[in-house]
Amino acid sequence: MSGGFNEIHPEPTTFWSKYIISFDHKVIAKQFLWYGIFFLGLGGMMALLIRWTLAYPGVPFPVIGNILFPDSAGIVPPDSYAMLFTMHGTIMIFYAITPILIGAFGNYCIPLMIGARDMAFPMLNMLSFWFAFLSGVVLLISLGLPLGAAAGGWTSYPTLSTLIGQPGLGQTLWSLAIFLFGISSTMGAVNYVTTVITLRAPGMGYFDMPLTIWGLWLTAILNAIFVPVLGAGVILLMLDRVFGTTFFLAGASATAGNGDPVLFQHVFWIFGHPEVYILILPAWGIVSDLLSFFSRKPAFGAKATALAMTAVTILSTLVYGHHMFTTQMSPLLTQSFMTLTMTISIPSAIFFANWLGTIWKGSIRFDSPMLFSLGVVFVFGLGGLTGLHLGTVTTDLYLHDTYFVVGHFHYTMAASVLLGGFAGIYFWFPKMFGKMMNEMMAKIHFWGTMIGLNGVFFGMLMVGYGGMHRRIYNPFIYESLQRLIPINTFITLSAIMMGAFQIVFVINFFYSLKKGPKASQNPWEVGTLEWTIPSPPVHHNYDVIPVVKCGPHELGNPNLKNGRDFQYQTEELVQG
Amino acid sequence: MRRSEIQHGLGMTMVLISGTMLFATLLMGYAIYRTSATAWPPMGTEPVNVVLPLLSTLTILFSSYFMHQTRVQFADHKKAKMNLDTTLCLGILFMGIQMLFWNELKSSGLLVGSGIFSSVLYGFTWIHAAHVVLGLCSLVWLRLVFKPATRNLDVKLLNVEKFWHFLGAVWVIMFLTLFVL
Ligand code: HEM
Ligand SMILES: [Cu+2]
Repeated sequence: MSGGFNEIHPEPTTFWSKYIISFDHKVIAKQFLWYGIFFLGLGGMMALLIRWTLAYPGVPFPVIGNILFPDSAGIVPPDSYAMLFTMHGTIMIFYAITPILIGAFGNYCIPLMIGARDMAFPMLNMLSFWFAFLSGVVLLISLGLPLGAAAGGWTSYPTLSTLIGQPGLGQTLWSLAIFLFGISSTMGAVNYVTTVITLRAPGMGYFDMPLTIWGLWLTAILNAIFVPVLGAGVILLMLDRVFGTTFFLAGASATAGNGDPVLFQHVFWIFGHPEVYILILPAWGIVSDLLSFFSRKPAFGAKATALAMTAVTILSTLVYGHHMFTTQMSPLLTQSFMTLTMTISIPSAIFFANWLGTIWKGSIRFDSPMLFSLGVVFVFGLGGLTGLHLGTVTTDLYLHDTYFVVGHFHYTMAASVLLGGFAGIYFWFPKMFGKMMNEMMAKIHFWGTMIGLNGVFFGMLMVGYGGMHRRIYNPFIYESLQRLIPINTFITLSAIMMGAFQIVFVINFFYSLKKGPKASQNPWEVGTLEWTIPSPPVHHNYDVIPVVKCGPHELGNPNLKNGRDFQYQTEELVQG
Repeated sequence: MRRSEIQHGLGMTMVLISGTMLFATLLMGYAIYRTSATAWPPMGTEPVNVVLPLLSTLTILFSSYFMHQTRVQFADHKKAKMNLDTTLCLGILFMGIQMLFWNELKSSGLLVGSGIFSSVLYGFTWIHAAHVVLGLCSLVWLRLVFKPATRNLDVKLLNVEKFWHFLGAVWVIMFLTLFVL
């Protein structure tokens, strides 16, 4: 049903209601953006500490090492090392990528791109941010505990995550933080799904929605279904830790029946595999749109892309077992999961081919959002290919828990989502803040990031293939791994370089915010609805709810006569 | 159908899907514990007395009935309100019986930390009870706004009702699987 509840809410007047407990989706989007960027920086610092330890074991971390680890003269100690990789993973996945891609872009783009005045449930939206905020505070508090934060990996498998493995409060707070974050995500998902279904502008069918919206919408559906599964898992983990239940404890409590540590792995990955698609779907959507916008031609097979994304969404619920090939599953199960995993390649290949079809023979404009989108095409393609090695049981038995896995998911998830997120930031910044970012700095940022991250993640694939395990404090006590020290040093140097280039982004971001040239209504010359209104939009977005008459990718139509090479979605499709 | 009805109905559907997944996960875990245990309850543990759980099942079923009646008699505001009050009382009674049940478990020597059998009993009923508390809050809220002049009162009622029935249904499934089976 289109049209929906599109009343104009009165504009808030006080600072408090305007910026803090705002119900306005545009403000909430920015809150999520600041939140995500903050955690991105924190998680990035942790990554550098981890990398330093792997490249220069036993050497004090420069400059801040002595402040962080005074007891060990600036060297990262083993227990802190475990804490660092745990918190790095947790922060990046739940507190950086999720808020930026889903929280910020979801909130900003959905109402604007479907022609609505706000989300379906503005108050729920506000609560969703503040639950996320609370969750972030709990997580940050856990970093300052005497026994340290959680250190059982972002996957928190028992028994590492039980009281036996982690006596401190850190893991309990981790579980609590994740639970609160789950509530926030579920609230957001309820809102997004309802908004897309009920508030599309009149005339906008599902296939007239930009693919960005498709990605965000599918993500929200997965979120609503699978985040509660993790919720159940972390509740049980908390009960085990706080009240002494034995859901995930085996052995010690033999008197009265046993809990099952492997059950947690099932629960985690039933959630976890959909989660990786939750993170990548918005980026796929954004990239699918941007490739078309900057190639100045319609998205190749846009309908097929949307349907392929839907197929991936459905299949992603059926393959979680590929994370558990080494848990003594029956061969029948491993083979089934392997087959299902391979099946995902089919829809993935379809939209990947569509991406290539979109840029094929386009008149490409190499603006920064396009560079980042092309970057995604490259890194996601590479990352997807490494998935095949891991999805095959016979090879995964060797590659499991090596740096090859780490390389794989950093290519597919970290690299693709990071680049996709930057593409989105450069693209919507003018609409969000009404200012243009500096294009030169954006391009420098792109090349620094692109070269740096390939150095890091390709290096990871190599050392993993060479046999280096993940999550080990000092792998080089094993003689067989000592030959990998030079590559590890190379990875670390690449990481430092990549980190350094993020400073360019931060400077550009804040400088442009203050001093950037004023953005016009439609600086990129594209036709989706958000570009038909001023930058930044007024409080209620649309004075008059637009009526949609054509799809989002009507670019380069030879019949266009008015000097533009694109048309707005509010215009009747020009025919020859 | 009205717009608000569709919108809120859809929102509630999503909430219920999420809730279903949460409890389905718990029940999946239970199925695994049950099927991999050599004996259930484990050797040396007495089966639990089902009287109190049976009582709470009846209570929550009745409360669901009165909740339903609230909507059936919506046209007669006074009667509807009385039904709503009854629902709320029965909901509170349900919580009371659950507490008695936990006490009984404890005095029979089955403590939270006595192994997986008691973990399931306590853990699952706690998690359900936590949701019932949420349900009670929404009932109290509904009771507070239950005035003929309230905008979209029927939609609010319908959604609280759905949530309350959901809690009842989850409890019935828990009762059947944890105590009867
Ligand atoms: C092309 C399709 C893909 C296939 C066949 C695939 C396959 C796999 C397999 C088999 C593993 C388990 C490896 C092991 O632990 O031994 C794995 C791990 C992982 N994959 Fe993928 N994957 C694919 C795409 C993706 C995408 C798109 C993402 C994220 C956006 C992703 C994120 C991850 C993560 C986060 C892990 C490991 C997490 C951990 O163990 O800590 N994968 N993948
Ligand atoms: Cu997976």
